[in-house]
Amino acid sequence: MFHWLEERPFFFAVGVFLVVSFAGLIEILPNFAEASRPTVGTKPYSGLQLAGRHVYIEDSCNACHSQLIRPFKNETDRYGMYSLSGEYAYDRPFLWGSKRTGPDLMRVGNYRTTDWHENHMWDPLSVVPGSIMPAYKHQFTQNADLETAYAEMVTVQSVFGVPYNKPITMKDGSSETVKLGASFEEEKANMLAEAKLIAADMKNQDVKDAVANGEIPKIVALIAYLNSLK
Amino acid sequence: MGNQNPLAYDYTVAKWFLWATIAFGIIGMTVGVFIAFQMAFPELNYLFGEYGTFSRLRPLHTNGVAFGFTMSGIFATWYYVGQRVLKVSMAESSFLMAVGKLHFIVYVLTILLAVVTLLSGITTSKEYAELEWPLDLMVTLFWVLWGVSIFGLIGIRRERTLYISIWYYIAAFLAVAMLHVFNNMEVPTYFVAGVGDWYHSVSLYAGTNDALVQWWYGHNAVAFVFTTPIVAMIYYFLPKESGQAVYSYKLSLLSFWGLMFVYLWAGGHHLIYSTVPDWMQTMGSVFSIVLILPSWGSAINMLLTMKGEWEQLQSNPLIKFMVLGSTFYMLSTLEGPIQAIKSVNALAHFTDWIPGHVHDGTLGWVGFMIIAAMYHMTPRLFKKELYSKKLMETQFWLQTMGIVLYFSSMWIAGITQGMMWRATDEFGNLSYSFIDTVTVLHPYYTIRAIGGALYLIGIFIWAYNIYKTMKSGRELEDAEVNVNKSPMAENR
Amino acid sequence: MKNIIIVSVVVSLVLIGIIYSYVGNIIGDDMVNILSMLAAILILGITVGVGVKYVNQMKNDTASGELADENWDGIGEYKNDLPIGWAVVFLGTIVWAIWYWFAGYPLWAYSQIGEWNEEVATHQEKFEEKWSNISEEDLSRMGEAFFSVNCAPCHGVQGDGMDGKAADLTKRLDASAVEYAIRNGSDNHLVSEYMSMPAGLLWNAVEIKQVSNYVASGFTGIGKDVYEANCASCHGMDGMGIPGVGANIRTFTPDLIKAVLDNGKKGAIGSMPSFKGRFTDTQEKAVSLYIEKLRKGEL
Ligand code: HEC
Ligand code: HEC
Ligand code: HEC
Ligand code: HEM
Ligand code: HEM
Ligand SMILES: [Ca+2]
Ligand SMILES: [Ca+2]
Ligand SMILES: [Cu+2]
Repeated sequence: MFHWLEERPFFFAVGVFLVVSFAGLIEILPNFAEASRPTVGTKPYSGLQLAGRHVYIEDSCNACHSQLIRPFKNETDRYGMYSLSGEYAYDRPFLWGSKRTGPDLMRVGNYRTTDWHENHMWDPLSVVPGSIMPAYKHQFTQNADLETAYAEMVTVQSVFGVPYNKPITMKDGSSETVKLGASFEEEKANMLAEAKLIAADMKNQDVKDAVANGEIPKIVALIAYLNSLK
Repeated sequence: MGNQNPLAYDYTVAKWFLWATIAFGIIGMTVGVFIAFQMAFPELNYLFGEYGTFSRLRPLHTNGVAFGFTMSGIFATWYYVGQRVLKVSMAESSFLMAVGKLHFIVYVLTILLAVVTLLSGITTSKEYAELEWPLDLMVTLFWVLWGVSIFGLIGIRRERTLYISIWYYIAAFLAVAMLHVFNNMEVPTYFVAGVGDWYHSVSLYAGTNDALVQWWYGHNAVAFVFTTPIVAMIYYFLPKESGQAVYSYKLSLLSFWGLMFVYLWAGGHHLIYSTVPDWMQTMGSVFSIVLILPSWGSAINMLLTMKGEWEQLQSNPLIKFMVLGSTFYMLSTLEGPIQAIKSVNALAHFTDWIPGHVHDGTLGWVGFMIIAAMYHMTPRLFKKELYSKKLMETQFWLQTMGIVLYFSSMWIAGITQGMMWRATDEFGNLSYSFIDTVTVLHPYYTIRAIGGALYLIGIFIWAYNIYKTMKSGRELEDAEVNVNKSPMAENR
Repeated sequence: MKNIIIVSVVVSLVLIGIIYSYVGNIIGDDMVNILSMLAAILILGITVGVGVKYVNQMKNDTASGELADENWDGIGEYKNDLPIGWAVVFLGTIVWAIWYWFAGYPLWAYSQIGEWNEEVATHQEKFEEKWSNISEEDLSRMGEAFFSVNCAPCHGVQGDGMDGKAADLTKRLDASAVEYAIRNGSDNHLVSEYMSMPAGLLWNAVEIKQVSNYVASGFTGIGKDVYEANCASCHGMDGMGIPGVGANIRTFTPDLIKAVLDNGKKGAIGSMPSFKGRFTDTQEKAVSLYIEKLRKGEL
């Protein structure tokens, strides 16, 4: 008597599909609109930061690092204020991670600096004895992919309405604007301007020379991204 | 009672997938052992330049074992079990035969491209959905081909009622199709902006929403890649190998629909104490506890199928693999819900206890079932006696040792790590800097790597045994093939 | 059979023993830690128990029941009922879930942020109660642990700056830092937001070397004249600084450290981030005390 469905593969499949699909709706949809609203003070990534974010993803830093501070005192003591949903409004994809082989990086921009990252990414053991993080020397010699970062900026602006070139209200009431150049050349100039500030704080002569020659090594973009995590 | 005369089943595609299972198993787990050693001995990060770092290799491991090893195993058994329990032969339909072959070709191509792209750092970073959109499309293509094969074979079946295994294959097919499509929604940037890499894309969802969709996917990828199709396998191979009837039809039925219903709700347990609303997290927690029972239902059903057959557990290494497999299934489906309890998750999340839990399930349950299934199929596919029973026994014990070392070291590591992160001194300040919590784990990382290496040696033994079976196993008569217990050389 | 039980019990006990000996001191009286330990032990226990039970059944019972008509590739199926234990527990968990959802722990009654607020408030209360009159010695002990978590990643566990990666805190300034300040000026808000030191107070390389060494070696050796002529007006004859005018360049003081923590510092080596608002006054006091002791070599 139970076999009715099992003799009718079509209805069986429909039954399975219904049972497995509606949980997803209830799990995901109710909060969808709410969760996409940015908190006050949350800015989109600049071109250079986005290029750095791509380096972060390319080298899968998220395999070891989370970017999600849970509301426990021990975590807020260690990493800073707990995370809020709206702070991730411009994160595509999200980079929360699921394993902390290394520390959380959600607000690492608050307590590490350019020169520290430079030393650390070149050789983690030189600043943190006992570290098991790999060195990423190739990031000092390869250039960041600025075109793709630019393409992503244009895409998120036109498809998702990310507010480039628009004033954004900061927590203290002031307003700031994140620029997006009208052409790739124009945006590249923005990126270079930001890169020069980073390179000025760095010591590696090859990197400094590259930036002076209008190139942007991956490490410069990555540091711009890490510094933006606040 | 069904007709016992064997049809002339056509196992061409099953054989191809069997080879793929072995090849990807070796690749994926060799990388796994390598990254395990990297965590203990970080100097190993520098053997292959940027391509050898832990972070480039880890996705290669997860994709290699989940989408290479496990999925090949699922397909291999489908092209074997499907024909037999539906009682039709692939040879009867040249269309389905062509679909099966195309399925294999597109699949292998996709996995090879996945290896290349992941090594080059082309990834979207979402766990278990790292592949960029062109490869997502290829996955969709081979998945559709598999669907055609499933429903095509069902369409021309001779057995009126679908056997339990078929339920689980259908569920795996449908659910993964749905999950894959929604979690991989992304906008290719080149087509909007006209510059940059053509294969780059940006996720349709942002932040918390992206996380919700990802873990709805990620959790259920566990359900419908590492669980349902493996249950499909055990429901066929254990009764078949032991010659026992399934213990209870009612239990099969309730476990199946219970699992279908409950699994999808539990994804929130990956997001506990994150920025998703509290009630969604609680939902994930609560449903995880309920999930124990439908999971255990299948495992208990299989263990009870062996009632009174203890002797086989001692004499037949294949039964050993399967019975221990379902025991590990019970272990990980109890451990998971415990980790889903909020206060436990507060401690366990982000620690090594999670990879510990993962490998209880994947090594003990997924790995053992696939190993057993391939061993069972080999004599039937090649009409050869399994080359060596002794090697099978050795493999079993080596791998069991390996799993025990893996999970026990990761339990200790995870709990130690979790407690050190939250430990405070008498003043209420943090006691340990982060690096203290890293260096303390060195011994456990070493033990885990050794455990993994034992498991990997077992995988090589398995490959060798199957290879020798094909090369120099004794030829079997038809009558010998159609017995329950897999023919194996008892004294070698 | 007996062997299996014995082995599993022994293995479980050994595991628990190892875990305990390692982390027992951390467990303390934290309920959550204890619960988690119990959960881990429970997993082991239940799995071993159930495993043993079914293995027993495999061993002793015989297959029984009425076979169904169907048969797939030779696989039959019994019409046995649900195992009663399984069915009851399944129902039980469903009832429990509904109860938990609506009554036990209703979904609208909880806020994780609220829990955090409470946790922080409780800590503060406890801290004030216990350490309101904290002794110098306790403060310095507190500073040491605090330093190792927050500062050691840059300054090294010994505070020596790890081969020049950050300031060497075992002394106030080294010669290159002094030279850098003379050549480039200094604008790190060390004494106040408005005061900075202009660049180019000295331009003679020999003089710069001399005075840098003089300052770095604790105001001894040659260079005294140059110092007194050019620097003392702001930093004082003894280098201890003049409030609101020049920074103390001889020792560390709580004010100086507070200024560095609030504003960060950029200099010859690189930059230190600002920690404004992250630490409590007591924590800042504790760490300055610790750093001054480091400098004096009193540790
Ligand atoms: C094998 C795991 C691993 C990988 C992969 C990894 N890290 Fe780390 N990371 C660690 C560990 C362990 C630490 C803590 C020890 C240390 O500071 O070196 C750390 C520390 C850090 C820190 C310091 C954070 C702090 O609070 O002190 C930063 C920043 C960082 N990593 C960035 C990165 C970036 C960027 C990548 C990718 C390009 C990366 N990491 C890849 C393991 C890893
Ligand atoms: C006009 C007043 C003035 C004079 C003259 C002056 N300083 Fe300074 N000095 C300051 C002030 C103000 C600061 C703190 C600047 C800041 O906030 O970074 C300072 C900072 C410094 C520092 C950096 C301290 C640190 O922790 O980095 C050094 C080193 C220093 N002075 C050395 C000298 C020497 C050597 C001379 C003589 C050549 C000199 N100063 C002359 C006002 C003066
Ligand atoms: C990201 C790295 C970093 C961290 C974290 C850090 N520092 Fe620093 N700190 C530096 C660097 C770099 C300098 C040297 C700046 C320069 O003068 O070039 C410095 C300088 C200082 C100085 C000034 C030394 C002098 O003689 O002028 C003090 C004091 C100091 N740090 C204290 C602390 C304390 C206390 C903490 C922890 C709460 C801390 N630092 C955390 C990087 C760091
Ligand atoms: C009742 C069944 C199960 C439940 C309730 C469950 C629960 C959980 C929980 C709570 C986590 C940890 C989430 C976190 O804190 O990061 C987790 C992670 C995981 N589990 Fe399970 N688990 C179950 C069964 C299984 C099985 C059988 C397997 C594999 C065969 C498995 C594979 C995984 C994997 C791969 C992860 C890691 C996900 C990630 O990348 O973070 N689980 N599970
Ligand atoms: C030879 C045996 C294996 C070894 C030594 C091994 C080792 C590892 C290591 C070291 C990690 C990374 C853990 C971390 O980042 O902390 C990992 C992750 C993972 N492995 Fe394996 N592995 C093995 C076999 C397998 C198999 C057979 C499967 C699946 C069938 C599998 C599935 C996974 C998954 C899903 C993850 C991600 C876990 C997570 O994100 O939490 N592994 N493995
Ligand atoms: Ca993970
Ligand atoms: Ca994808
Ligand atoms: Cu899950």
